[in-house]
Amino acid sequence: MRTTGRFGSTVLTVYFWAFVVFLIAPLFVLVIFSVNNSTTPTLPLTGFTTKWFHAAFTNGVLTGALVRSAEIAAAASIGATILGIMASIGLTAKKVRFRSFTVALLLLPLVIPYISLAVGLLILLQALGVQTSLVAVVLGHIVITLPFSILVVMPRLRSLDPSMVEAARDLGASDVSAFRLITLPLLGPSLVSSFLICFVTSFDEYAIASFLAPSGKPTYPVFLYSSSRTPALLPEVIAVGTLVIVVSLVLVLLAEGGRQWAERRIVGTAKADFEAAELSTDLAALGRA
Amino acid sequence: MAHSTEATVSQRRNPDRRRFRPGRGSLALPPMFFVLILLLGPVIFIGLFSVGLRSNIPGTPVAFSGSNWHDFLFGPSNPFRKRFVYSMEVALLVSILTTIAAFPLAYFLSFVARKHRYTYLLLLLAPFFTSFLLRVIAWQIMLNDNGVVNWLIQSVGLKPHGDPVKWLIYSNFSVGLVLFYSWVPFVALPIFAVLENMDHRLLEAASDLGASRLSTFFRVSLPLSLPGVIAGFVFVLIPTTGEFITPLFVGGPNNQLFGNSIQSFFSDSPDWNYGSVLAVTLVAVVLILMLIFGRYLNTDLRAAPSGGDQ
Repeated sequence: MRTTGRFGSTVLTVYFWAFVVFLIAPLFVLVIFSVNNSTTPTLPLTGFTTKWFHAAFTNGVLTGALVRSAEIAAAASIGATILGIMASIGLTAKKVRFRSFTVALLLLPLVIPYISLAVGLLILLQALGVQTSLVAVVLGHIVITLPFSILVVMPRLRSLDPSMVEAARDLGASDVSAFRLITLPLLGPSLVSSFLICFVTSFDEYAIASFLAPSGKPTYPVFLYSSSRTPALLPEVIAVGTLVIVVSLVLVLLAEGGRQWAERRIVGTAKADFEAAELSTDLAALGRA
Repeated sequence: MAHSTEATVSQRRNPDRRRFRPGRGSLALPPMFFVLILLLGPVIFIGLFSVGLRSNIPGTPVAFSGSNWHDFLFGPSNPFRKRFVYSMEVALLVSILTTIAAFPLAYFLSFVARKHRYTYLLLLLAPFFTSFLLRVIAWQIMLNDNGVVNWLIQSVGLKPHGDPVKWLIYSNFSVGLVLFYSWVPFVALPIFAVLENMDHRLLEAASDLGASRLSTFFRVSLPLSLPGVIAGFVFVLIPTTGEFITPLFVGGPNNQLFGNSIQSFFSDSPDWNYGSVLAVTLVAVVLILMLIFGRYLNTDLRAAPSGGDQ
């Protein structure tokens, strides 16, 4: 049945597309100004140039910050995904003591304000007599990205047919090799999702990094903040920002497409409904990112 | 018979199978301890700092003192308490507006764009796979006195050239707009999920029984979608209470939020004890919100394994 009349449908359609324009406009503006031949991001446009990209990549502080953030994000997302697999396997066991408490604790970083956690970690370091360091940033990022990993891996683990692991065990596989040969490959696609979500979150995280990164070693977000105070740096910031936006969009779309393709191959009977449900779980996890 | 043979075979191949092994459940312990140390640890420490039991200045005598708390909670016209109340008002207003704006988007996806709804959903969420900081910077570029928006306003003649609309940036408006922009898609998500899982036969029944489209909406669809609406509302409310990045980029001195007060206590002023009072307050607010609304954020992970998803 139709729940919306023709007039209602038209209004909703116009509203939706206007909103899409509103959402994309800032990104579009950033892309345009990245190739605009002017030292300020203002209209009217003054001509095409790629010089800001050249300038950006010869700016050692900027590229240093980018590389630093990528390394931190890679370390944090590997760490969070490994802990996420452990937590998911542990929590899907038949008998778990304090299951509710453990789940609540592991998901708590989703709601704890990052600013409170950041100053708390700073105090913790001071109490332990440890200097601020990039390792501390990685540890902080593992804490905040671990829930995303669990939210992505655990539903996938639950959807696996337990008889496959049981069959492996009956055929003589040990716990470890059953995990390595059966569970891990079947989890594969969700591990890629987990890694990407954690990576993107860590790469963009400002609060914890601003307090825990040593002053001479800014991460990319910390650099972005300090350079936003320097108008001369703005065109370079915009150029790199455009690259970051394009790369992250391409990565996410590839990952989502690839994951659906892989899952269709692995689980031949996966229903479209189920995939849609899983997609929305992933997106919900991204919501906090 | 077959069963017992099977058991014998597997026991022979795995002689260690009957030995005591820690349960699978114990795999959750390392992540649990990790979070205990690096999440609860910091929270306990800001708690200790807030009552003066520790200090960041070496050599200072430490003793229990509730004076910072007393000053924050009861001090006459305490500026940080004022900032806190202002911040909560901003968070509440942004959450309400975001939820109202998101509902039609979800409704469109679920009931009008039936066929391509997941593609459209991805379109709605696409900007949010990109850096949050970059989007805030993009708004800063668009809204400033020489920015795109002011240029457009002056080009169409709404304002004379050289006379920009000042309240577009470093104002309550800019902070509110960027927060609104950041959260609408995520509010649409839980509402969309609820609308999708709604039993559409109920809508048919309402219509068969003579309800108009409007009354079907107000008496069936809307009430049934409330759990999603509340979830979406909380999705915004919780992170917005601790927000400080948006005002840092697009807010003026008068539009800073409570999170900014905490930040400046730990970066500009050496008084970590007072800053910890504010940081603990923020954690408490979020935990209270979770106690009230937590059941609407059902992540389906709490239940014992049953095999199926959803």
